[in-house]
Amino acid sequence: MTKADGRAGRLGEVILALDGVSLAFGGVQALRDVSFDVREHEVRAIIGPNGAGKSSMLNVINGVYHPQQGTIRYLGREYRDMDPHEVAVSGIARTFQNLALFKGMTVLDNIMAGRNLKMHTNILLQALRLGPALREEIAQREVVEGIIDFLEIQAYRKTPVGRLPYGLQKRVDLARALAMEPRILLLDEPMAGMNVEEKQDMCRFVLDVNDHFGTTIVLIEHDMSVVMDISDRVVVLDYGRKIGDGTPNEVRSSQAVIDAYLGVSH
Amino acid sequence: MAESLAGLDTFPKLLMHHARARAERPAIREKDLGVWQTWSWRRFAEEVCLLACGLAAQGFRRGDHLAIVGDNRPRVYAAMCAAQCLGGIPVPLYQDAVAAEMAFPIQNAAITHALAEDQEQVDKLLEILPQCPTLAHIYYDEPRGLRHYDQPQLMSCDRLLELGAEAQRHDPAFLEAEIARGAGPDTAAMFFTSGTTGTAKGVVLTHHSLIDRARAAAEMEGLNDADVVLAYLPPAWIGQNIFSYAQPFVTGYCICCPESAETVMSDMRDIGPTYYFAPPRVFEALLTQVSIRMEDASAPKRALYRYFMGVARRVGGAILDGKDVGALDWLLYRLGDAMVYGPLRNVLGMSRVRIAYTAGEAIGPDLFRFYRSLGINLKQLYGSTETSVFVCVQPNGQVKADTVGPAVKGVELSFTPERELLIRSPGLFKEYYKNPQATADSKDAQGWFHTGDAGYFDADGHVKIIDRVKDVGKLADGSLFAPKYLENKLKFFPFIKEAVAFGHGRDRVCAFINMDMEAVGNWAEKRGMPYSGYVDLASRDEVYGLMRECIEQVNADLAAEPEIAGSQIHRFLILHKQLEADDGELTRTSKVRRLHVAEKYAALVDAMYAGKPVVHVEAQVRYEDGRTGSISADLKIRDARTFPPAAARKAA
Amino acid sequence: MKKNWPVLTLGAALLVGLALPLATGASAPGFYVEVLLGGLMTGVLYSLVALGFALIFKASGVFNFAQGTMVLFAALAVARLAERMPLWAAILLAMAIMVALAWLIERLVLRPLVNQEGVALLMATLGVTYFLDGFGQIVWGSDIYKIDLGIAKEPVMVLDKVFQGGILVNKEDFVSAIVAAVLVAGLVLFFQKTATGRALRAVADDHQAAQSIGIPLNRIWVIVWSVAGFVALVAGVIWGSQLGVQFSLSQVALKALPVVILGGFTSIAGAIVGGLIIGVGEKMAEVFLGPVLVKAFDLAGGGIENWFAYVLALLFLLVRPEGLFGEKYIDRV
Repeated sequence: MTKADGRAGRLGEVILALDGVSLAFGGVQALRDVSFDVREHEVRAIIGPNGAGKSSMLNVINGVYHPQQGTIRYLGREYRDMDPHEVAVSGIARTFQNLALFKGMTVLDNIMAGRNLKMHTNILLQALRLGPALREEIAQREVVEGIIDFLEIQAYRKTPVGRLPYGLQKRVDLARALAMEPRILLLDEPMAGMNVEEKQDMCRFVLDVNDHFGTTIVLIEHDMSVVMDISDRVVVLDYGRKIGDGTPNEVRSSQAVIDAYLGVSH
Repeated sequence: MAESLAGLDTFPKLLMHHARARAERPAIREKDLGVWQTWSWRRFAEEVCLLACGLAAQGFRRGDHLAIVGDNRPRVYAAMCAAQCLGGIPVPLYQDAVAAEMAFPIQNAAITHALAEDQEQVDKLLEILPQCPTLAHIYYDEPRGLRHYDQPQLMSCDRLLELGAEAQRHDPAFLEAEIARGAGPDTAAMFFTSGTTGTAKGVVLTHHSLIDRARAAAEMEGLNDADVVLAYLPPAWIGQNIFSYAQPFVTGYCICCPESAETVMSDMRDIGPTYYFAPPRVFEALLTQVSIRMEDASAPKRALYRYFMGVARRVGGAILDGKDVGALDWLLYRLGDAMVYGPLRNVLGMSRVRIAYTAGEAIGPDLFRFYRSLGINLKQLYGSTETSVFVCVQPNGQVKADTVGPAVKGVELSFTPERELLIRSPGLFKEYYKNPQATADSKDAQGWFHTGDAGYFDADGHVKIIDRVKDVGKLADGSLFAPKYLENKLKFFPFIKEAVAFGHGRDRVCAFINMDMEAVGNWAEKRGMPYSGYVDLASRDEVYGLMRECIEQVNADLAAEPEIAGSQIHRFLILHKQLEADDGELTRTSKVRRLHVAEKYAALVDAMYAGKPVVHVEAQVRYEDGRTGSISADLKIRDARTFPPAAARKAA
Repeated sequence: MKKNWPVLTLGAALLVGLALPLATGASAPGFYVEVLLGGLMTGVLYSLVALGFALIFKASGVFNFAQGTMVLFAALAVARLAERMPLWAAILLAMAIMVALAWLIERLVLRPLVNQEGVALLMATLGVTYFLDGFGQIVWGSDIYKIDLGIAKEPVMVLDKVFQGGILVNKEDFVSAIVAAVLVAGLVLFFQKTATGRALRAVADDHQAAQSIGIPLNRIWVIVWSVAGFVALVAGVIWGSQLGVQFSLSQVALKALPVVILGGFTSIAGAIVGGLIIGVGEKMAEVFLGPVLVKAFDLAGGGIENWFAYVLALLFLLVRPEGLFGEKYIDRV
């Protein structure tokens, strides 16, 4: 499945820009002076071999790590030392490489939890199940049902997620993030550990999300072939440095990228 | 049925009738976003009218074909009726077919308009556009993922409905007149049969034949507008079309479309259908699920289940048939119903099922009786696309595991000397589309349809189907030899995975047995029998003994049926390897390729007929990882006891 | 089905122990039922305290040593405030104090220590325990105080038609058991059926993921500690009205420890069932096993009630460390 040509003209302004971001843990330099931007409605991939700093990059955007140097501008404003909760509030959602679902809860509860930010009724009203709280719950459920339908997981609403096969858990993870109606969706290796068919499904879902909701997507992927078909632009990291940035075709033909992937020593 | 449907000779006319007579009663339900949404008959009719006007505005004319590709959705059925309103012919295609398979029907009928459910189906139609230049309009129901498609052929159903509304404003009387122009002998629909031989054929059916058959069966079973059906099999299959289109149009009952293929079980529990169809493999899969769940249950539950299933096996079928079983057994069965059968029916979603059908292939007698003993009125029917389904149905109280029942009202049956079943019925198809040769081959001058199925009437006048005519052979003495019938009987034993029977032109029947590794392995384990692998296990005397018991049971059964008593199996061997599609021994749909097997293992067949006790075999095998190796083994050949035929016994 | 023999054996032993006095005729049925009911009612209170324990452990992974002291603190607050205002107002005000306390603990203890070792947090709650003890005595005094719920304390004779001599039931016991049961049911519903309850469960399941979808950890902690405070308040009021509000209350409340070991640290159902088992178990042991032991080994006296729960918990730690309803964590490799 490749992108239809009709998508070309849809990209908007720069929505997220990282400038000179560096991050170190103790003596280990995870990111060195990395700059790139993300445009609205774009599918932006960050790729690189293992240990290239992809996950650190995502965690920096997500507010889990705070870079020692460099700035992150989101919607024109610089954000500094935001914690993950604040980042979530500002409209950035994420999924997890190693699945961080609420395992004891049902699929429905997991996705409903993703609506948490959209719920405003008072805890007392909720406890007494009074009108406004009940109405809110129903309204949120409608949105969630839309997402369940979108990701084709109707059969598993009441199943505790811990019992689902891996590929489906990944889909629930995506659903939970989507429930936040984010402006930017960060996907941490969404295709990791999947078989070919599951990967194809996931690609389709990612494109559909981008297409249908206009969500800007930043995805990290280890497997280069997967992202080339679905990304508008690709950033390539290696040893914490940016070694390539451009359209999939540009990146594919870049010598530095080829070297990095073939493991040519520096 | 109190209401008069006289003069309503087409589906659109029936629809308009229901839209008046039971306007607010449910016609179609669909689970969407977790909630059952209901279309009343009035709403259904409105949708059909708008779609029809829209299609007309798009240039769809009387006699045109409308390809419809999609799962069970209200709009899929509405589109069928919309085409019929205009005197057009809906051609439902299998939604799981690959693009290439869709090309033939579209080319064959020079189809110009198509309705696709979603992006997946649209993609397939777009893929075959180059081969199908006639296809000028593709309408899609679900817009998801299609936003950036700019092919000129594409239009959303919503847009089509708008066009329809506009056209209707301009000319409100148009559609009514169009509907009135239709008549019973008009073509109502065309179904493409996959055709086990050669290319697909379009089976042309008229309004009259479909409505007649739908009504005959509905009257026989007392179906009415309170019945509920779950539409979960492909709409392109004639059966689903009868159960979820023709029969609701005749009786006014409601059909329910599941949310997705994966939710069928829970959706079925939600709605509790009263009228249900499933092929044997579905019943088999359900039973397997139940068995697995029972294995995991606690010991008291298992004991309870075992005990009451024993009671059910003994008297359940008889109680369902309304026979007297004695007060104690009746009481025990009631108790079991409260504790086991009722909850089990509930889990299966069959609590409210009044009539359940199975057809398509032979169903194992144990499987069949299991459901009946639970109090589920499972029956068999016989029919095909060419006959508008209903040819034979087992009436309540006359249900048997191995027949398909007597002819339904209006059907005439007869058998050729070769035992081919011939049918004359108001439900017969008009023709194979643009294929007069095939039509002439299967429908003779007297109007008899040659089914290609071989069988005979049993003592009660029920039709018994044994095999395809082309596969039926004769033993050397001229008596009937139906290998598939024997093989099916053998395969109903859990220990036997596959069987291949030989006997055409021979003096007696011999067979290859392929044991079921899992079942026999378990059996061996339980008896503490060590074995080193497949070949070893297959050569054990104990396993030969086990298989011989199975075969002798089949022989005893066969002896009771004078027609095929001569087909009892005299000698057999257990094959040293599983028959595999990869080795060309099975088709991709897991049917035995008899000729190929006979050729490949000619030495073994000869040894059986030569009366040898042992035969040596060396065979190439392909392992799963692609390597090949060879197996060499000595296969034992054993005799099985045969029984004198029943008729002879009586005479003696 | 996999069988867990140690647990089955233990369960069977408990059942036999329970049935023995009745079966051997060592006790009249009426008296037996009376003891059983008495045990259940104590058990309900244990359950309440254990519930607070389990809630906090589940939601924040903190082993809250201070739960017992919170019971005492809440009871003291109610008792002293009730001297100056009507009881209902005192209870409401005490609740407000417990919420404030929860907020303070989150601010001053949990937030600075987040992401620290579990031991650090345990030590911190130990600190909270001593602080509350001392602080409570400074503010509320260290005498024995009374809480009068206005329910008659005299025993009522019930079921005298069924059992010879009838059964003596304390009306107040009865009312408190019902209150506790309603509270527990309400909490379960709150957890299962409301958006906040869902958020609480989410946090309990995975902190990181909960944060990433915008669930504010800090707020959740305040809520959890407030709920725990509320539960402690109810337990404190009931207990205080029966035993008087005094320092030993926090010791009794420590019985919640064996209860959560028995029931499983993360399970609400476990806290409830565990509380009932221990309540009934120790009462039975005290009444029926005690005299036997005293006679057999020529001991000085009974007092089984004081240590029975701990022995039972110890047994459980040996055969089923995750408790009756606890989750067995299997780390993925």
